[in-house]
Amino acid sequence: MLCDRCKERDAKILYTEIINGVKKEQHLCEECATEYTSFQMEKPLLNSDLTLGDLLSTILGGFTEEEKRKAYTPVTCSNCGTTYDEFLRIGRFGCHKCYSSFDMDGQLGRTLNSIQGAKIHTGKRPLGYSSAESERNRKITEIEKLTIKLQEAIEKEEFEEAARLRDLIKELKREEAASNA
Amino acid sequence: MLKWYEQIVPDSDVVISSRVRLARNLTNYPFSTKITDEQASSLVEEVKKLAPILTEKTNKKYYACNISSLSDIDRTAMVERHIVSPLLAEKKQTTGLILSEDETVSIMINEEDHLRIQAIVGGLNLEEAYAEADRVDNIAYEQLHFAYDEKYGYLTSCPTNAGTGMRASCMVFLPALSVARMIQKLIEEVGKYGVTIRGIYGEGTKSMGAIYQISNQKTLGMSESEIIENLKRIVMQVVKQERKRREYMLSVNSDEIQDQVYRSYGILKYARQISSDDAMALLSQLKFGLDCGLVKFDREFNIHKMMMGIQPGSLQWTLGKSVGSVARDKSRAEYIRRELPSII
Ligand SMILES: [Zn+2]
Ligand SMILES: [Zn+2]
Repeated sequence: MLCDRCKERDAKILYTEIINGVKKEQHLCEECATEYTSFQMEKPLLNSDLTLGDLLSTILGGFTEEEKRKAYTPVTCSNCGTTYDEFLRIGRFGCHKCYSSFDMDGQLGRTLNSIQGAKIHTGKRPLGYSSAESERNRKITEIEKLTIKLQEAIEKEEFEEAARLRDLIKELKREEAASNA
Repeated sequence: MLKWYEQIVPDSDVVISSRVRLARNLTNYPFSTKITDEQASSLVEEVKKLAPILTEKTNKKYYACNISSLSDIDRTAMVERHIVSPLLAEKKQTTGLILSEDETVSIMINEEDHLRIQAIVGGLNLEEAYAEADRVDNIAYEQLHFAYDEKYGYLTSCPTNAGTGMRASCMVFLPALSVARMIQKLIEEVGKYGVTIRGIYGEGTKSMGAIYQISNQKTLGMSESEIIENLKRIVMQVVKQERKRREYMLSVNSDEIQDQVYRSYGILKYARQISSDDAMALLSQLKFGLDCGLVKFDREFNIHKMMMGIQPGSLQWTLGKSVGSVARDKSRAEYIRRELPSII
């Protein structure tokens, strides 16, 4: 099957888009898929040189680089007095507040990621757990959860699912921007 | 009420027990590295109040105690039966325990985390172990304020437990794979799936009596049911490999193995003194013979219960007193002689 856009190269990707509730499907080649979709890739989607980390940071707009530029500042948990260095040395948190104290610029997420290979809890939530604070957090978490799913979909080359997730993420981000404005 | 190690369960030729442990912390106390002695005592008192509530809300009786109030023998016996961890038993600070009468569910208080909710059931049944622990977790959450975060889940003292705070594990009996020196390869294989195997009743990967523990490593980014599914799939693979290896061993070496099993039985049945290491090795041989149908007893018999019964702490607990190692070896032999059924 030839690509729906350029009608030159072989179509390899089924790209699904839902605009105003109308589902639109297109069979695209790698080049057109990259160009057409808002993944905004610098390299073709299926280029094997591209690591998942690269892929993800491209998709999310390169904020990791920005974080890297931020200078390291010593951090202490105001609740229990544990320092970040102490935490790294003994590998134990001093109290439940240490988690937020040490999460400057998503640092803790990366630490957890290097230990556990994941940075978001997807399991049980205590029965009846809810508060205004958690409602606000939930949206951020939802985006992050979807981003992980997106990563997995790309890894499995399930591009239809990836497109759906990408649209969902876009939608949530728009909602968030609107509610913050 | 039968204790989990007294019940006869399916798949017990390879999987002895399934265990789920949930790490939980309260928001009103610092974690274990920072908690003061006074705070530890008040934490234990606060959590112990759960016992009557659990009794009321479940169909089991729960008891609470301070670990320091137990005798050394009781403490050692509880470690051997996996009810409490060595860390809890040895800690200088006040520590507590809530235990169900059938010993299926226990809550360690002021261990590495404020609460370690644990459920053990016989055989391969991780789902039931989780259901038990989950029920207790829900009741506990109604009474206590657990540290929980949308992003990082249950907040634990060690980052390796954050998220679900869950460690699921199966105790497995792998004599054929051990003899074939295939354990190391197995450890490497399952490692790829975020699962670890280590020896119990022994150091590191060596194991007394060929009993090993298989458990999940990841607690973050996977739900409780995904962790259980993943672990179960791997345990079932191990079960399959062990059974295949047993079949193979029997097909090439049946006479020799049968001879060994009967010799083991002979020593166990007639020895006048025996160390726990020797007894474990022989019981392991005998269990293998029973599982493969090489020997048959004249009545139903739970060999794993005996494996725990011969451990130093449990033995002295049965005797009701602390005794020296020679006397212990004598009473161990006597206990085995008395309990071991006849062969038919
Ligand atoms: Zn094209
Ligand atoms: Zn802290």
